[in-house]
Amino acid sequence: MANIGVPKRQTITPKGRLRWIVHLFPLPALIIYAMFVVYPIFSAFTYSLYEWNGIKQGVFVGLKNFLTLFSVEPFNTMFWNAFGHNVIYFLVEMIVQNGIAFTLAFFIYRKLRGSGFLKVAYFMPRLLSVIVVGFLWKLILNPNYGALNTLLTNLGLGSWAKPWLGDPDTALLAIILVNCWFGIGFAMLIFLAGLQSIPEELIEAARLDGAKGISMLVKIILPLCMPAITIMTIFTFIQAFEAFELVYAMQGSMGEPFRSTDTLAVYFYRLAFSSAGGGDVAIGLGSALAVVLFAIVASVSALSLYLMRKREVQH
Amino acid sequence: MKQFRSRVAASFFLAAVMTLVGCSGGGSSTADPGGGTTAPGGQTAEGSSGGSQGGGEQVTVSMHSWRVEDTAGYAKLIEAFEAENPGIKIDFKPFKATEYNTILNTALQSDSGPDILQLRPYAPGISLATAGYLEPLDNLPGIAQFPKDVLAAATGKDGKVYGVPLSLNSTQFYYNKKIFEDNGLQEPKSWDELIAISKTLKEKGITPISFGAKEGWLLSLSHGVIAPGTYNGNPFVEKLVKGEVDLTSPEFLKSIERMKELVPYFPENYVGLELNDMRTLFATGKAAMFINGSFELEGIQKLNPDLQLDFFPMPTEDGKAVLTTWVDGSYAVNAKAKHKAEALKFLEFMTTQKFGELFANEFKRISAVPGVKTTDPLVNKMAELSQSSSTPYIMVVHFAEGNPTTKQTLENALQGMYLDKMTPEQVVQEVQKSAASWFEPFKK
Amino acid sequence: MDLKTSVSTRAIQYALAYLFVLVALYPIVLMVASSFKTNMEIFANPLSLPQSFSLDIYRKLWEVVPFGDFLLNSVIVSVTSVVLIAVFSAMAAFYVARFSYRWTGVLYFFFLVGLMIPIKLGIVPLFLLMKDLGLLNSLWSLILIYTASGIPISVFILTGFFRTLPVELEEAARIDGCNHFQVFWRVLLPLIRPALGTVVIINFISAWNDFFFPLIFIQEDALKTIPVGMMVLFGEYETDWSLLFAGLTLSALPMIVVFLLASRQFMEGLTAGAVK
Repeated sequence: MANIGVPKRQTITPKGRLRWIVHLFPLPALIIYAMFVVYPIFSAFTYSLYEWNGIKQGVFVGLKNFLTLFSVEPFNTMFWNAFGHNVIYFLVEMIVQNGIAFTLAFFIYRKLRGSGFLKVAYFMPRLLSVIVVGFLWKLILNPNYGALNTLLTNLGLGSWAKPWLGDPDTALLAIILVNCWFGIGFAMLIFLAGLQSIPEELIEAARLDGAKGISMLVKIILPLCMPAITIMTIFTFIQAFEAFELVYAMQGSMGEPFRSTDTLAVYFYRLAFSSAGGGDVAIGLGSALAVVLFAIVASVSALSLYLMRKREVQH
Repeated sequence: MKQFRSRVAASFFLAAVMTLVGCSGGGSSTADPGGGTTAPGGQTAEGSSGGSQGGGEQVTVSMHSWRVEDTAGYAKLIEAFEAENPGIKIDFKPFKATEYNTILNTALQSDSGPDILQLRPYAPGISLATAGYLEPLDNLPGIAQFPKDVLAAATGKDGKVYGVPLSLNSTQFYYNKKIFEDNGLQEPKSWDELIAISKTLKEKGITPISFGAKEGWLLSLSHGVIAPGTYNGNPFVEKLVKGEVDLTSPEFLKSIERMKELVPYFPENYVGLELNDMRTLFATGKAAMFINGSFELEGIQKLNPDLQLDFFPMPTEDGKAVLTTWVDGSYAVNAKAKHKAEALKFLEFMTTQKFGELFANEFKRISAVPGVKTTDPLVNKMAELSQSSSTPYIMVVHFAEGNPTTKQTLENALQGMYLDKMTPEQVVQEVQKSAASWFEPFKK
Repeated sequence: MDLKTSVSTRAIQYALAYLFVLVALYPIVLMVASSFKTNMEIFANPLSLPQSFSLDIYRKLWEVVPFGDFLLNSVIVSVTSVVLIAVFSAMAAFYVARFSYRWTGVLYFFFLVGLMIPIKLGIVPLFLLMKDLGLLNSLWSLILIYTASGIPISVFILTGFFRTLPVELEEAARIDGCNHFQVFWRVLLPLIRPALGTVVIINFISAWNDFFFPLIFIQEDALKTIPVGMMVLFGEYETDWSLLFAGLTLSALPMIVVFLLASRQFMEGLTAGAVK
C-alpha cells in the first residue's frame, strides 16, 4: 500500500527533550473536526438501520431501508431520477463552468491587460449568499417581468422568452447555469494557479520544438495542468452530487416542476424533514439515502485523489 | 445509554479544546481568539438565564408558528392575553413556512422545542401526537364547544384531542367585480357559464383566470375548488371515505379534465408563475379571477386596497353551490413543555369568544370559535357559507398521508398534465395508486 | 514569457474576457440598481436604471429588521471561526506535512474525508450534541460547526503549501535553539501567509453566507446572522420588491467590501498554494 497522503520528502525527525510536544499540533483540529463533523454524520448513518415512526426511532431493521430505497415505488424511481439530475449537474458544470473558467484563466495567463480587475470581477458572484443568488436569479428569470425575458424581447428575440424555471425542459439547466455563474471565478483561480506553476523552461523548450497554438495547448499545457484539473474535477463532482442550497432556494424541496429539478440532496431533505405542506417524514429512508450519497461521493473522489497522487509520484 | 456516554465524552473533549484555545491564544502575540469570542459566551449566559430571572413569578412561554406574515397581528392577540394574565409572557416566534417543519421536528426529536406550537392540520400534525410529543387537551375548558369535524384536524388516532383549532379556511374563485360589471358579466351558476365568462373575457383581452403551475400546493388547492363541482359535494365524499367509490371514478376523473379545460384561460407562461405573480396579476386588475384560499384575502387587499373584490362558491352539476373548507393549523402544547400550566392557560384563551373576534378582525380570517362575527363582509360571507354549504377539501382532510402523500402525488401529476407529460387518466391512476398504498378503505 | 499571439486572436481574447465581466457583474449591478427603484418601476422596466436616487428604502429596511444586530452576529461568528480554522488547520497541516510517522498518512486521509461529508445530513445528531453542550441559541454553536467543517479544506490547502517550503529554514531555526512551537509561530506562520489568506477568505465566505445552521440552532432574533435574518424579510415582505433588493444588496455589501480590501492577498495565496 502506498502512503496516499505523504510523499517521502521534506520531513523532519523531531529531536530533543520536548519532542512529544509535536504530537499536540494536530489535536485541536482533530478534536473539533471529529466531534462536530465525523461523529454527527456517522450517528446519522446509524439511523438508517432503524425503523422510524414519524420522527420517533423504532426497532433495528438492518438493511431494510436500503432495500426499500432501491426496490419500492416510488422511492426507486425518485432515486434514479434525482441521480440522473446529479450526473447532468456534474457534466454541465464540467463543460460550461470549468470550460469557461479554463478559457478565461488561459487568457489571463497570456497576460491580458487588467488581469487584476478581471480576476476580482469573475470572483464577485461567489461572494453572495446562495440565498441571495437564488432569489436574485428567480427575479431575473421571472417569466413575465424578469430581466432576461425583457432583454430577449427588447433584442427582438421575444419568441425565445420562456418560463425558464417553470418548464421542465429548461428548469434544471437554468439552475445549473446559475451555479456555473456562481462558481466560475473560483474555478478560474484554481486553473490559473495550475497554469502559473508550469515551469517556463518547459514551454520555451516546446516552442523551440515547433509547438504552437492548439498543439501547444493540448500537448504541453493541458497535461502539465493536470493536478489543477483533477482537483477542480473532484471539487465539481462533490459539489454537483451534494447540490442542494441553490436548488432549494430556487425551486423548493419538491423538485418542481414535475420532479425535473430533483437532486439526491433535495430528495434527502424531503425524506428526512418533509416538505412545507407536511406529509410523512421518513428518517430511516432519508438516512439510508445519505449513506448512499456519501458512499458515491467518497469512493469516486478518493479514487481520483489516489490516482492523482500515484501519478504525481511517478513523475 | 451508549449515545449518552459518547456525548459526555464529547463534552469533555470540548472543554479540553476550549482550554487549549485559551492557552495558545495567551501564549502568543498573534491572533487572540479570546478577545473576539467573549460576546457569544456572554450572550449564551444571558439567554439561558432569561427564563428564570425577571420580576418575581414572571413566566415566559415560548410559542412557535409558521405565520411570519402575521407577526404584528399576533402581538395584539398576545397583548390582550397578557393584560389578563400579568404573570405570563408569551414569546411568539414565527418561522418561514417552508422551514417550519424542519426546525420543529429537529427540536422535538431532541426533547426540546417550544411550549406552544402551531400544528399542521390533519395527518401531518396528528403524526406528532402519535409519536407522543403532544399534550392531550380533552380536559381543556372551552374545547367542547368546537364541532367534532373541526376538532378532527387535531384528533389523534387514540381519539384524544391535541389541538385548539384556530381558523377555518376556505378556497374559492375570487373575482374582480369591476371587470365583471364593465363586461356585463355575473357570477356563474354552472360550469358552462364559467367557461362562457372566461371566453368573453379572453376575447376582450383580459386574462380570465390568474393561475400558475409552478407551485404544486396551489394546484391541489385549485383542484379542491373545481372538484366538488363535478362530484356534487358531500355524498360522494362519504362514499369515498367508506371505499364505495375510489379516485378513478368518472366524477373524479372529470374534475381533473376540467382542470385541463381551463388552460386556454390562464395567463401567458402560466407554468412558470408563482403565487406572488398570480396575486400581482389579479390585484392589479390584469386578470379577472383568481382561485385561492381565504388566507389570501388580506394579501390581495394589502396589495391593492381599492380592488373591488368578491368571490363565488363553486357551482355543482345539480344546480347548487358549495364552498370547500378545512381547518387550518391548530395550536398544541408540547408534552415536555417547561411551563405547561401557563401554556394551557393561553390555549384556553384561544377558545374564547374574545380571542375569536380579535383574531377574525385582525387577520380577516374565519375564526374556528363558533358564532364569531367580524367587520369584514367577505369574511362573514365565507363564514356563513362554511356553515350552510361547505364541503371538505379532501386532499388535506382525507388524503394527506403516505410518502409522498397522496396530495403531493396529485400536485406532481397535475404539474405533469399541464406540461403535457400526463393525461388526465394517468393522473387519476397515479393518485389512486398512491392512496391505495395506505388508505385502509381502498385496501380491501 | 512571450507566446506569439496574432492581433486578431488577441482582440477576441479581450472581447470574450470583458464580455464575461459583463455576465458576472450585471446581475449584481441589477440588484443594486433595483433597490433604488419603486415596485412599479421594477415591474414596468426591469432593466432600466432608477429614475431617482434615494436612500429611503434603506432607512425603511433598517427600521423593519434589526440589521445592526445581524451584522454584529455575522462578524463575531465569521471572524472567530476563521481565526480558529486558520490556527488549528495550520498546526495540523504542519504536523501532517513535516513529520512522517506511520499514522500521518492516515490522519491526512481522515481530514480529507471531511471534504466529502455533506454535514447537513447529520443535522439531528448535531442538534442533540449542541443541546447537551448547552449551546443552542448561542453563537458558539455556529462557531464550532463552521470551524469543524472548514478544517478539512484548510488542512488540504495548507498541507499542500507546507510541502512546497524547504525544510532548511526550520532546521536553521532549530539549530538556533528554537523549539517546535517557536519554529511554528516565528518561522512557519509568516512563510505560509499567502496560503493562510486563501484559507481565511474561503472560510469567511462560507461562514458569512450560511443560512442552514443558524436556521436550526438560533431562535433568538437578537442572535440571528444576516442570511437567516434576511430569510425572514423574504417571508414577511414578499411583495415589496424594492425592499427585498435593498435587503439583498445590504447583506452582500460587507462581504464585497472585505473582499475588495483583501483580494490581492487572496489571489496570491490561491495561486501560490492551492494545487501544489
